Amino acid sequence: MAPTRPSKGASSGGTSKGSKGSKPSNMSSSSRVSKPGGKPSGKKNVKRPPPQEVKSKARTAPENLARKKKRVYTEAELDLPKLNQITPVGVVKPKGKKKGKVFVDDQEGMMTILAMVNAEKEGQIESKMMKARQLEEIREAKKAEAEARMKEKKSKLDAVKDSIRNKKKNKGGKEWAAESSSPSSKSANGSKSAKGKRKSVSFA
Amino acid sequence: MRELTEEEAKVLFSKLANYTGRSLNNLIAPPEGDQTERHVFRLQGSRVYYLPLRLANYATSIPRANLLSAGTIIQGKFTKTMKFRLHITALSVIAPHSRYKVWIKANGEMPFLYGGNVLKAHAARWSEDCPEHSGVVVYSMNDEPLGFGVTARSTAEAKKLEPTGIVVFRQADAGEYLREEDSLFTA
Repeated sequence: MAPTRPSKGASSGGTSKGSKGSKPSNMSSSSRVSKPGGKPSGKKNVKRPPPQEVKSKARTAPENLARKKKRVYTEAELDLPKLNQITPVGVVKPKGKKKGKVFVDDQEGMMTILAMVNAEKEGQIESKMMKARQLEEIREAKKAEAEARMKEKKSKLDAVKDSIRNKKKNKGGKEWAAESSSPSSKSANGSKSAKGKRKSVSFA
Repeated sequence: MRELTEEEAKVLFSKLANYTGRSLNNLIAPPEGDQTERHVFRLQGSRVYYLPLRLANYATSIPRANLLSAGTIIQGKFTKTMKFRLHITALSVIAPHSRYKVWIKANGEMPFLYGGNVLKAHAARWSEDCPEHSGVVVYSMNDEPLGFGVTARSTAEAKKLEPTGIVVFRQADAGEYLREEDSLFTA
């Protein structure tokens, strides 16, 4: 038991030193490696990168903890019904957009707005003109129709007047009227003449 | 004093376009070869000013509350319902670019300058093919702009109108410089 103790103690002493003890051992190993390289008769001159110690990080290290962060779901992924969401429908504000007013001061922006407005106005004026022209046409047509009707009425009236004048003439010259009158007018005239006779009788 | 937003610019231009034709573009981008400096639109309170850029930049050094007016031309003001009302001061901007015009006789000038509408008896001549309810600039017989308004009848209808009928409804006349002296330039 006695020989084992010191060995254990030595090992434990080495471990207790930790990093301090490891460094010199590394140095020694590197020196050992360099020795065969330095020999010309040895293996080929292979340059190896200096060995690096790979340390496995503890589970509680902050990087490991960060990686295992819980996944955060966006609202779209959750597939919630729209009415159940916190922000009401239609109130959602676009992210990353500038708050407040958007000014236009550059010439191009102003010109585009003006061009849009001008086009709109010209369209309106054009439609107004078209409408006015159509209305004017309708009015003209109505006017022409009314004029034609008036003419017709007038001609009718003239015809009636003429016929009356003719009748008067007929009364004046009975013998001529009897010859010229048509059979239809004859009957009318005949009845009228009968009446006239009666009147003349009464007056007489 | 600040620049106009897109919406405000649209409202303003659509109002101006009532009276003017395509040459309104010259207000924003002066034709090449024109040596005058660039003019800009600025909003102060509810009023819109059209002034040289140089003046607009100077105006930034004055606190808003202390700034009464800037430049020489006031275009008009925005109402609370975001409509734009043109003032008589905008006449010098509109008149050179006017689309429709009405010239009034000497005996009709006074009634118009006192705030009356333009009667047919007072109108000497007017632009052809002018539709109803469109903006017109009223000129005297010496080609001096006196004000502006909107047509009550289209040109074709106005020809048939009796002499006492209204041809143009007045919107602004040069007489306002005296009548509205107290409120025209104050914010």
